[in-house]
Amino acid sequence: MRIWSAVVASARLVWGLAVGALTAVATLAGLAAGGIVLAPALAWPSAREASMHRLASIVLRLAEFERHRLYRLFGDTEAKTYRGYGPERALAYLGVRWPVGLLGGGILALFVWGAATVTVFVWYWLTGRYPDNIPPSPWIITYLSVACGFALFLGVQGLIGVVRLERNVARRFLGPTPADLLRMRIEQLSATRADVVAAVDAERRRIERDLHDGVQQRLVALGMLLGRARRSGAAGDEVKSADLLAQAHAESREILDELREVAWRVYPAALDTLGLRDALAGVAERAPIPVTVRYDVPETPPAPVVTAAYFVVSEAVTNAVKHASASRIEIVVTRERRTMTVRVSDDGGGGADPGGAGLTGLARRVAALDGRFAVISPVGGPTEVRVMLPCA
Amino acid sequence: MRVIIAEDSALLRDGLRRLLVDEGYTVVDAVGDGAALVESVSRHVPDLVVADVRMPPTHSDEGLRAAVEIRRRWPSIGVLMLSQYVEQRYAVDLLTGHGTRVGYLLKDRVADVGEFLEALARVGAGGTAFDPEVVRQLLRRTTHTDPLTRLTGRERDVLDAMAQGHNNASIAARLHVSQSAVEKHVRSIFDKLGLADAEGYSRRVLAVLRYLGE
Repeated sequence: MRIWSAVVASARLVWGLAVGALTAVATLAGLAAGGIVLAPALAWPSAREASMHRLASIVLRLAEFERHRLYRLFGDTEAKTYRGYGPERALAYLGVRWPVGLLGGGILALFVWGAATVTVFVWYWLTGRYPDNIPPSPWIITYLSVACGFALFLGVQGLIGVVRLERNVARRFLGPTPADLLRMRIEQLSATRADVVAAVDAERRRIERDLHDGVQQRLVALGMLLGRARRSGAAGDEVKSADLLAQAHAESREILDELREVAWRVYPAALDTLGLRDALAGVAERAPIPVTVRYDVPETPPAPVVTAAYFVVSEAVTNAVKHASASRIEIVVTRERRTMTVRVSDDGGGGADPGGAGLTGLARRVAALDGRFAVISPVGGPTEVRVMLPCA
Repeated sequence: MRVIIAEDSALLRDGLRRLLVDEGYTVVDAVGDGAALVESVSRHVPDLVVADVRMPPTHSDEGLRAAVEIRRRWPSIGVLMLSQYVEQRYAVDLLTGHGTRVGYLLKDRVADVGEFLEALARVGAGGTAFDPEVVRQLLRRTTHTDPLTRLTGRERDVLDAMAQGHNNASIAARLHVSQSAVEKHVRSIFDKLGLADAEGYSRRVLAVLRYLGE
């Protein structure tokens, strides 16, 4: 199977080179003809405008054809994305490209010639004749085989080189210019910046909700219990008063727990004191289902990366417990060269919505650090949240 | 007194229910969101509703919208709103509808059991109850409008208590003065604010608060 696909890919490359050689000839002819046609037209301003326009559209069409050839036959995925180059750049490209195309055609022609020679020799020898009076002695066969092998190697190297050259020329003349790249980067940064602000606001809203709908309600309820206890006491019902006080006492302890949890959700203080490994161990301990943690990062990553990784894990674990009804969770944190990879996988029901509030916030946080964020969660499970964070 | 409680926090809902039962109210239902509240009111038609402003699904003003609807369809039902914050707009909205049988308290006030029960009783008796903090903020907002600055400190105290929904006897008790002294202060306040003296204290409160709220 693998061999077959390699054969298909090679055949495509050869076909692409052949087509490239043909278009090189066509381009050369076209450019020459265009020059001949255009030269007299330049004298007439009205005709000049029209013929320039015509030439530009032809040049663009040729360049587009080459771009498709690179993508379709050479598997150049970058070429697929080249956009917005004008006729000037396209013309420069065509002017530089045609020798490369001819070079590819030349190497292919050598191949054909070599293959024909070998075929003729073998055919003559098999039918008992001597081509050019050369007998098939072992010495001759060895010498020819070595020569063929050598030529074949050079030819294949040449073809690979031409393919690479084609790609480079296309990237240089049709691909994004440094200014384009900068503009794209700026657009991306603006987007992630806006996303970060939105994520921060969403987090603040969540904290406000946590305080109001959790802690404040409990405090009001505590006040009510104490108020009722006092009224019972004042009314002379000591038993009820004592019972209410006991309830109030228990409630005050629960409020403390809740407050600790809210503070922890705002920012886990253990990250600063203990580091990511221990903070993740804490997440695993607090989870109501078995969670295994494999932490394999030699040195401490930068603080923003640590925080993002922690929140990703924390949210993913919460989701797995709450929505996926998972029975076990695995957390794996590794680092290869300059990238830290965090994977949280569970055996739950899957079908997680990456557009959910929690996951969206995390994706934004990761994007702001130039990281990559993916949720793989087919319906029926399992779910994996995978994050790659650059630690420059 | 038959009461319906609408509050999304189960803990608080339960606490309120117990408190009201302790005090001899009949709690006919306790619900957790605005839609359920209107539905429950149409089924039971209670005397009083105690409702949180902020409830699911959006946690913005479901309770208030339910209250406005209840007041429109069953004007005889008293409504006491509980709010997380002082929302002056809400207070003014509630007042400008029909200024009786409404109350607007800060949620934290529930913890002052005595004050909360007193406010509830006032609304139940056909009066009004506004949180002292709400009134204070409304007053503070209008200090730049001159008529109020012409009031004496005592008169401001009286207005403050009046705006909360206390009647003259209650104001007299609170400020430790005679009732006739309170009546004198009230007349003076209305003179200074240029309001015609009308019968019925809730309408007067309404007039004052509307004046303050605009």
